[in-house]
Amino acid sequence: MKGTTKYDALVVGSGIGGMESALKLGDMGYKVLVVEKDASVGGKMILLSKVFPTLDCASCISTPKMAATIHHPNIDVLTYAEVDGIRANGDGTYRARITQRPKFIDEAACTGCRQCEMACNVAVPDEFNADLVSRRAAYIAFPQAVPKKAVIDRAGISPCTGACPAGIKAHGYVARVRSGEYEQAFDLVLEATPLVGSLGRACYAPCESECTRGELEGPLPIRRLKRFIADAHYGRGRDGDPEAVAIEQNGKKVAVVGSGPAGLTAALQLARKGYGVTILEAAEQAGGMLRLGIPAYRLPNEVIDHDISNVTALGVEIRTGVRVDDPAGLKDDGFDAVLVATGTHKAVRLRVPGEELDGVRSALTFLADVKLGKDVGLSGKKVLVVGGGNVAIDAARSARRLGAASVDQVSLECCEEMPAHDFEVEEARAEGITLHDGWGIDHFEGDGRLQAAEIKVCTCVFDPDGRFHPEYDETQRDIIACDVVIVAAGMRADTETFGLETNGDHTLVADPGTLQTAVPHIFAAGDVVTGPTMITTAVGQGRRAAFMIDRYLQGQVLDPGLFDEPLPVVDKDTVLARQQVYDRREPLESNAVMRAAPTDFEETEGPMTEDEAFLGAARCLDCGVCSECHACVDVCPADAIKLDDRPVAIEAEVGTVVLATGFNLFPADAKPQYGYGRFKNVITGMQMDRLLAPTRPYNAVLRPSDGKVPDNIAYIMCTGSRDETVDNPLCSKICCMYSVKQNQLIMGALPLADVTVYYIDVRSVGKGYDEFYQQARDMGCNFVKGRVSGITETEEGNLTLRYEDIENGGALAEAEHDLVVLAVGVQPSRGVAELFAGNGDALALDDHYYVGEVDEDLDPGRTNLPGVFVAGAAAGAKDIPDSILHAGAAVAQAAAHLERARVADEAKAKVPS
Amino acid sequence: MTQATETRRPVIRDAVPGRRDVREVVRDEQVMRRRILEVLAGGPMTVPEIAAAVERPTHEVMFWVMGLRKYGWVAEIKEVDDDGYYRYQVVEREGS
Ligand SMILES: Cc1cc2nc3c(=O)[nH]c(=O)nc-3n(C[C@H](O)[C@H](O)[C@H](O)COP(=O)(O)OP(=O)(O)OC[C@H]3O[C@@H](n4cnc5c(N)ncnc54)[C@H](O)[C@@H]3O)c2cc1C
Ligand code: SF4
Ligand code: SF4
Repeated sequence: MKGTTKYDALVVGSGIGGMESALKLGDMGYKVLVVEKDASVGGKMILLSKVFPTLDCASCISTPKMAATIHHPNIDVLTYAEVDGIRANGDGTYRARITQRPKFIDEAACTGCRQCEMACNVAVPDEFNADLVSRRAAYIAFPQAVPKKAVIDRAGISPCTGACPAGIKAHGYVARVRSGEYEQAFDLVLEATPLVGSLGRACYAPCESECTRGELEGPLPIRRLKRFIADAHYGRGRDGDPEAVAIEQNGKKVAVVGSGPAGLTAALQLARKGYGVTILEAAEQAGGMLRLGIPAYRLPNEVIDHDISNVTALGVEIRTGVRVDDPAGLKDDGFDAVLVATGTHKAVRLRVPGEELDGVRSALTFLADVKLGKDVGLSGKKVLVVGGGNVAIDAARSARRLGAASVDQVSLECCEEMPAHDFEVEEARAEGITLHDGWGIDHFEGDGRLQAAEIKVCTCVFDPDGRFHPEYDETQRDIIACDVVIVAAGMRADTETFGLETNGDHTLVADPGTLQTAVPHIFAAGDVVTGPTMITTAVGQGRRAAFMIDRYLQGQVLDPGLFDEPLPVVDKDTVLARQQVYDRREPLESNAVMRAAPTDFEETEGPMTEDEAFLGAARCLDCGVCSECHACVDVCPADAIKLDDRPVAIEAEVGTVVLATGFNLFPADAKPQYGYGRFKNVITGMQMDRLLAPTRPYNAVLRPSDGKVPDNIAYIMCTGSRDETVDNPLCSKICCMYSVKQNQLIMGALPLADVTVYYIDVRSVGKGYDEFYQQARDMGCNFVKGRVSGITETEEGNLTLRYEDIENGGALAEAEHDLVVLAVGVQPSRGVAELFAGNGDALALDDHYYVGEVDEDLDPGRTNLPGVFVAGAAAGAKDIPDSILHAGAAVAQAAAHLERARVADEAKAKVPS
Repeated sequence: MTQATETRRPVIRDAVPGRRDVREVVRDEQVMRRRILEVLAGGPMTVPEIAAAVERPTHEVMFWVMGLRKYGWVAEIKEVDDDGYYRYQVVEREGS
């Protein structure tokens, strides 16, 4: 349903009041639109056990009405939808703005089989069971829901996932680990990239910087959990390479130039889609900077091999030692598209005197030689590393491991401003590297062969516009003796021969959204486009490029908006406000082992144990609610999960509005003397109705504290009603009778249980109600006239009630029970008046904030706004028969309004112009 | 009232048995599932027995056992014991 639609009537809310209004109007021939905010129609009535005084089963009598409402030819129903505002057109008609919230399910395909909720990894309190049990992020509201379709509860993208430039579902794999589904966690990361193991070790983890738990005791170990699932997968006896997967080929070929994170990721994605992918790599071994830059103590070669085997298993051919100088020319070799992902492998020179001396070398070639196992001859040498970034730290720590006599490091920036991460600087220091921060190189000295470096104090690294422009205090100088200098002054793209347009820093010019270059069949991704970044950014670029190349080769429009179109990231304050208190759960300490003089390239960080992984994942707050773990996607037999669903704005022109938004229950914790929320065996009347319903949260009526069948139950009437201390002088009308109903049902279900009702007076006004009350007394329910002043809890979880025993002279008395039910009253539902905000006339509420009726006695259902009517408990506390009667009155008014308008229109039409 | 002033900053505090937020307890169902199924592998148990075995408060175990029941991992044995407790056992899960 899109655009503006026209209806005779809009009914807001689909409880018994709303359904009754819609059905009657529909039967009269009017076109009706019902908007319900929950995922099912039915309101509160469908959640009840039985109804007083007939003791008919509530769901047996509700479900036919729910089905009739949904299937009525004159009624359209929007569930899980919200009315944002209703505007008067000035002629008695209205225009409503409605948002259909995304359900993330293809309703037409969903069969209501519950497979998604059975598989879902996120548990939240079940509001349809009054929070007595859990539901899942993917859920069908309750067994008799109409429509019986799942919805997925998504508050937004979780901050961790939102922060991942690679588009990896961080929250998803955390949730999978928490459920012990390690293989599925691995597969979820593999959906985005083959580099599960490499990212698990060497990613700088922007996800952790954004983790909401970081606002409490510290973030989750999200990166290390990825390492854990990679270790578990690669170590699980699948010795060597994964099995080859046969994918149906589409006949088209793509060349990927460069086998770093961007190239490997793109290759995996394209191969999955059936392209014949060949990776052309200039170096002797595949892996790009993973292989050539990151030292083995952070990322061992075997891990890279395993990651690459995820790509080759799909039939991707990797040709190493092949340098491509002319990407466009690859077309002649039969490639339909080319991805240039060549990274930044050219070292930036320092441009200081003496740089050409024997002994001065670049960090890039140094690290590559070390990683490829070549002898770099540092043993016993005095090494000086120049630079303050990650590469410089990697070079210094590698030199330390190769037996250098000493390793000094000079950085222009002072320690706090160095581009390297703080933890890297700390680890370098712990390994015995001497850091000279805030110094720059003046020149190198030597006689053909390097002997020393003269350094000078750097006073400022950047100019006021943030450009690199170091300034020095030429008077403060020092000399560092050295045999070898390793320069890590930056790196740049090596693109001169490509014949493609470049930027001033040699990066390739490509459209940032589509990554297409000016040559249509050539795309570019990774550091060669962005300049030096990090693995995860390059992975994200590789995914994007593959998506776009696929569209290009299929002749589709390259629309950046179609790639990973995400929901907004959920606000951390909103997440934290879901709980009032948090259990302290300390973050996992790093287990990196720092040795003062390391002599080998053993990994410094150890693996996580299963317990550590489990406890680490258990700290997750499920920020976005749904974790995007794809468990539901995996199991849904109807292929109905649609995680890319988005809200739809709808406008409706309506002739009349019926407000049937019902009521809220009194929040029982607003009477702290009764201990609701603190004492586990103090529950509300709604919770007891759920315990008695056939679709109950427990297998029987049990105590929430320990699952014991209660045998001595107390009811406290008028909780939150007729009570000035909570600002509600009104009688709620329904609590006496629902308590009497529950008393009878309990005595039926638990014949041995004693039931005591503490009351002020029992209000049983209505046909057959007093007889119903008497019947409860006759069945043995004990009615004690007395106001309960407070409750305390015994060690066994029983409850001691203190009350004024009115029938025995008002003496204070005490009694012990093992379950207490608070017969909570009702409150007006919130936000109804706001629907009409911005109109000249506001919707008038009564003194108690229910929707006001201009004349309750003579004109029920009519509000102060012409054409707007109120039905059911939205106008004040009502039981089901009264709600139905009241809806009838409101509907008659609404129909009269519509008819008056029609007659006036017809009269106007008849007047000759 | 603005959104900012309405948002109450959460309090972190050390575990006080019985005082955890319901949302947090429910979230832990996924974490506790394995432990509970492990202890039930030895035979059916009541909620207090499971609580003793997993060393967690009975009211928290109640949330987890009832969640596991709702999602088909465990089921009750029909008779109540002399102390008024049902016993729960592991069941073959649909589709597993
Ligand atoms: C514990 C308990 C037991 C009870 N037992 C009985 C009984 O045995 N017999 C009996 O006669 N009565 C009983 N009642 C009373 C009965 O539940 C009410 O009379 C009845 O539900 C009122 O119906 P309603 O449609 O007016 O409101 P509701 O049932 O509250 O329905 C209102 C609907 O509107 C939706 N809504 C609210 N705001 C919006 C919005 N802005 N946009 C869209 N949708 C919105 C809500 O989600 C809800 O679905 C009991 C009540 C309680 C609490
Ligand atoms: S993606 Fe995972 S967390 Fe989200 S609804 Fe599906 S199963 Fe649940
Ligand atoms: S708490 Fe969990 S979902 Fe939230 S940001 Fe951290 S890891 Fe992600």
